[in-house]
Amino acid sequence: MKVAVFWGCRILTSQYAYEMSVRETFPRLNVNLVDLPETNCCGEPIKSIKESAADYLATRILALTNTTGLSDLLVPCNRCHFALSEAMEKLRKDDETSKKIINTLKEEGLSYNPKIKIWHTIDFLHDFVGTEKVKKAVQKPLKGLKLATHVGCQIIRYSDLGRIDDSENPQKLNNLVNALGAEVVDYPKKLDCCGGALMRSHPNAALSLASTKLTLLQSLSINGLVVSCPECGLMLDSKQKEAAAIAGAKLNLPVLYYTQLLGLALNIEQEKLGLQLNQSPVNQLLLNIER
Amino acid sequence: MARIGVYICHCGLNIAGVIDVEEVAEYAKSLPDVAIARHYAYTCSEPGQRIIQEDIKTEKLDRVVVAACSPLMHEETFRKTVAEAGLNPYLLEMVNLREHVSWVHFGKPEEATEKAKDLIRMGVARAKLLEPLQRKKVSVEKSVLVVGGGIAGIQASLDLANAGLDVILVEKSPSIGGKMAMLDKTFPTLDCSACILTPKMTEAARHPKIKLLTYAEVENVSGHVGNYEVTILKKARYVDEDKCRGCGVCATKCPVNVPDEFNMGLGTRKAIYIQFPQAVPLGYTIDEENCLYFSKGVCRICEKVCGFKAINFEQKPQRIKVKVGGIVIAIGAEIFDASKIPEFAFGKSKNIITNLQFERLTSASGPTGGEIVCPQTNKRARSIAFIQCVGSRDKRFNEYCCRIGCANTLKQAILAREKLGKDSDIYVCYIDIRAFGRGYEELYRRARSMNINFVAGIPSEIYVEPDGTLSFNVFDKNIDKLLEIRSDLVVLVNGLTLSYDAEKVSAVFHVPKGLDGFLLEAHPKLRPLESVVPGIFLAGICQGPKDIPEAVSHASGAAAKVIDLLSRVEIELEPLKAFVDKEFCSGCGLCMPVCPYTAIEMKIEKMNGSERHRAEIIEEMCQGCGVCAIACPSGAIKVHHYTNEQILAQVHAACLK
Amino acid sequence: MSMSKPDLILREKVLAKTRRGVADCFQCMKCTSGCTALKLLELKPHEIMRLIEWGFLDELVTSDIIWTCATCLKCTERCPQKASPYHAIMALRNIAVEKEVKVPEAYLKAVSQILESGLAETIQKIVTRDAEAFDRESLKLPKIANPKGGFQVAFMKILEER
Repeated sequence: MKVAVFWGCRILTSQYAYEMSVRETFPRLNVNLVDLPETNCCGEPIKSIKESAADYLATRILALTNTTGLSDLLVPCNRCHFALSEAMEKLRKDDETSKKIINTLKEEGLSYNPKIKIWHTIDFLHDFVGTEKVKKAVQKPLKGLKLATHVGCQIIRYSDLGRIDDSENPQKLNNLVNALGAEVVDYPKKLDCCGGALMRSHPNAALSLASTKLTLLQSLSINGLVVSCPECGLMLDSKQKEAAAIAGAKLNLPVLYYTQLLGLALNIEQEKLGLQLNQSPVNQLLLNIER
Repeated sequence: MARIGVYICHCGLNIAGVIDVEEVAEYAKSLPDVAIARHYAYTCSEPGQRIIQEDIKTEKLDRVVVAACSPLMHEETFRKTVAEAGLNPYLLEMVNLREHVSWVHFGKPEEATEKAKDLIRMGVARAKLLEPLQRKKVSVEKSVLVVGGGIAGIQASLDLANAGLDVILVEKSPSIGGKMAMLDKTFPTLDCSACILTPKMTEAARHPKIKLLTYAEVENVSGHVGNYEVTILKKARYVDEDKCRGCGVCATKCPVNVPDEFNMGLGTRKAIYIQFPQAVPLGYTIDEENCLYFSKGVCRICEKVCGFKAINFEQKPQRIKVKVGGIVIAIGAEIFDASKIPEFAFGKSKNIITNLQFERLTSASGPTGGEIVCPQTNKRARSIAFIQCVGSRDKRFNEYCCRIGCANTLKQAILAREKLGKDSDIYVCYIDIRAFGRGYEELYRRARSMNINFVAGIPSEIYVEPDGTLSFNVFDKNIDKLLEIRSDLVVLVNGLTLSYDAEKVSAVFHVPKGLDGFLLEAHPKLRPLESVVPGIFLAGICQGPKDIPEAVSHASGAAAKVIDLLSRVEIELEPLKAFVDKEFCSGCGLCMPVCPYTAIEMKIEKMNGSERHRAEIIEEMCQGCGVCAIACPSGAIKVHHYTNEQILAQVHAACLK
Repeated sequence: MSMSKPDLILREKVLAKTRRGVADCFQCMKCTSGCTALKLLELKPHEIMRLIEWGFLDELVTSDIIWTCATCLKCTERCPQKASPYHAIMALRNIAVEKEVKVPEAYLKAVSQILESGLAETIQKIVTRDAEAFDRESLKLPKIANPKGGFQVAFMKILEER
């Protein structure tokens, strides 16, 4: 199968491991990724500046998808997925602003196609590909590995918009981890935010939130944390040391993307999955797998 | 040539405040066949009615048009007015200038006045073609069906029986008592619920005029007001009610343990059981689903140990047919399913319980003998947090307020303080405390004096720690602080919601539900005891949340309505029904299956030596909905008072602009 | 204590922008009780809802508090009246920008970054745990296809429109 892919900004500019692991693992599941001819920001940060401008940016991505001739768009970032979803809902209302956006895109030679379906990494693997297929593709079952998951916020909320999983009891990422042979450990504050959105204006508060989350997770006896959003990855993995410093905590938790874990279970080389780029102490986890 | 009187009502300023009633009256005078047109401040008042009656005599009117409020309000009133003056009550036409004109077009007086003129022109055109009709008189059955044996059903039954009517009280559970039997104490007086309920239960069972049918449900209803035919399915209990003494030996030997519904899952019962020790009738019932004999073909120990030979595995369900004159529906309600709000973690810990489960905990006849213990550990609770409005006042679930949540929690918090002593922490997290009833405000003050912490805010979620502790954060808007609360027990105050049987009852009795799911009354202010179906009345919380005194009043009111209805020798039926013009009926039978009231029969007639099928309307059962008239391909079926000619005359008049 | 005057014109503007009803809020505190930004930044979504409904908008639009929302959407999800403090806060931010009142630097930077390259972030070098530096090229990732054609003009136009 072919699917268009929109990476957003974070993945393309710093969270390379996520991109690498998606590019490596998806073809093994018979999914061919088609990059968009052009890319731009999904509009998330612009929502705070001007809603219509943000919706324009999001709609532009959907119009660019249209040029590939494909009707499915993979969006691995939670925030991009939310921005595109809200834009699509607004466009369905077909009001003045929507008309303006569509006309502006027409002037650029782009046309919006309302039939495009957007997917996140999680529901794409869970529902489109299917957990059974994922399970079958596993070559190195991650037996004995105990992991916790952090799904994030904007991918499961708010449910009226139509999100990829249940907002209070999301299970799909857990199922995907189980499909790889690993065990998932539940924890009470799993729906708490990583603080990512606050990095722009209140970095200390953001890092404090990340630290709180990581401290709680560390108290469980787990081998690592699985994330599937570049913002969450940025906070919990890339900035783990900074978070520890701000909060005066000792943080030592391996954090990796689901697709990196998937790659390990598919027996792909660690370097190809960008595991050298993780800033958290993933070596511990990798050793547990090798055993 | 007709002589029509047209009366335009001001309705105070309701109509006259928007419409130029003088102009409209002048216009009406100019219409053909109008003998006289007047306008008056309150036509429904005595002087207003008298004007009409005098005009009928002096002006020799043969039709009357009253242009005023909705016919739902005063059509009956004006029918009586003209009847008293000697005119057939169905020669009256009402034109709605209030709900259809002044109330909806209040911003456009000129256009409203024009619309008023149009509607009156249409009304006059129809009035000309109205025919006199007679109300058919039917006899009534002096018996009543009461559906539901909770406090409302019991109260209604007692009132009806004491008035001399025969009552059949049907209850789907093995015992009557309903939700009130599950309560420990009642607010605001802290009366023991069982102590005030059980005497009534016994009275109902013993009353010579009340026939109690428990473990039974109504399957089918046909007929009409005064003459209903009801089929009741009495399920098999596999225990002979006449022989069982309620000694309980069978239950002690029964090997099956299942969660006890009466104790809201907090305890267990056997497959042969009574719901509670004071059950009425005091007889055991075998739960077919869990009994080993029915599921696996083994056991039957109960039969062996029963000293009264009351067990009968061969018992069959019975269908009982009864004839009644009126019906009272008192099916009660359920509590909201808290698992629908996952952030409150119901089901994730045994220590997160519902308000009804809490009732069972404090109840002396409950699974813990009245001790407030944590179901998870069986240890005494040292802290309890009540979370109000779970599932109520919530657009995602039930938008309405459950009415009894506040008073019930005040009661439970006070009982908790009395049982747990000074050293326990009790929190009530609320949006508002609604203490409106008699004695409620005093109850609230009493609770405040007992060191109960009233938190002005609801938590966002409840955490269940791996070791089982319950905690939550809640922002109290009164002190502007975020409180972090740990509690042994969390009580989710679930609101009332429609009964599980509401759908079924609604369909069987043709009684509609409101948007909120409760059964719909005929008029929310003036007719809260009647359903929209003549002869069927509503009692208790099936018509909306109430506390016990309200439910009892409601039930007695419904009983009074039935007594009024059945006190007559005969009742009159509205003649606004369908009829078949035999000349045009070809006997095709298309009308029969579309009638929602099964009021059409195909009869065989002999004509000129040959047999023909003809449709016939069973007048008593016809509700005048008109669906048959639409279905009839030859136009043979018409509806009295709504003939094609009458309606088309209105259409023509409307187009005459 | 000062007496605030409600600004009803601005209030209408805010209400027109919010996706859900502000008036429906009945102060149950569920949003604030679960607000991600409450403990560290003192954000009280319920208070913002009431202030909007009253029309005390000048203080809101010029405040720092509206920039403390973590956009976690818990308030929108759990509100029993389907009001949404998140959307109300976004509307307030838009108005703050329109009125050229203080806006955190980082957001303005994002705007200029998007105009320049199409993306809101700049390409970074990542240093591994073994102190090696990598970027897209050295990781053999494809080049980023920045927008061409009329993108800049179009984006600018929509930003500046009233």
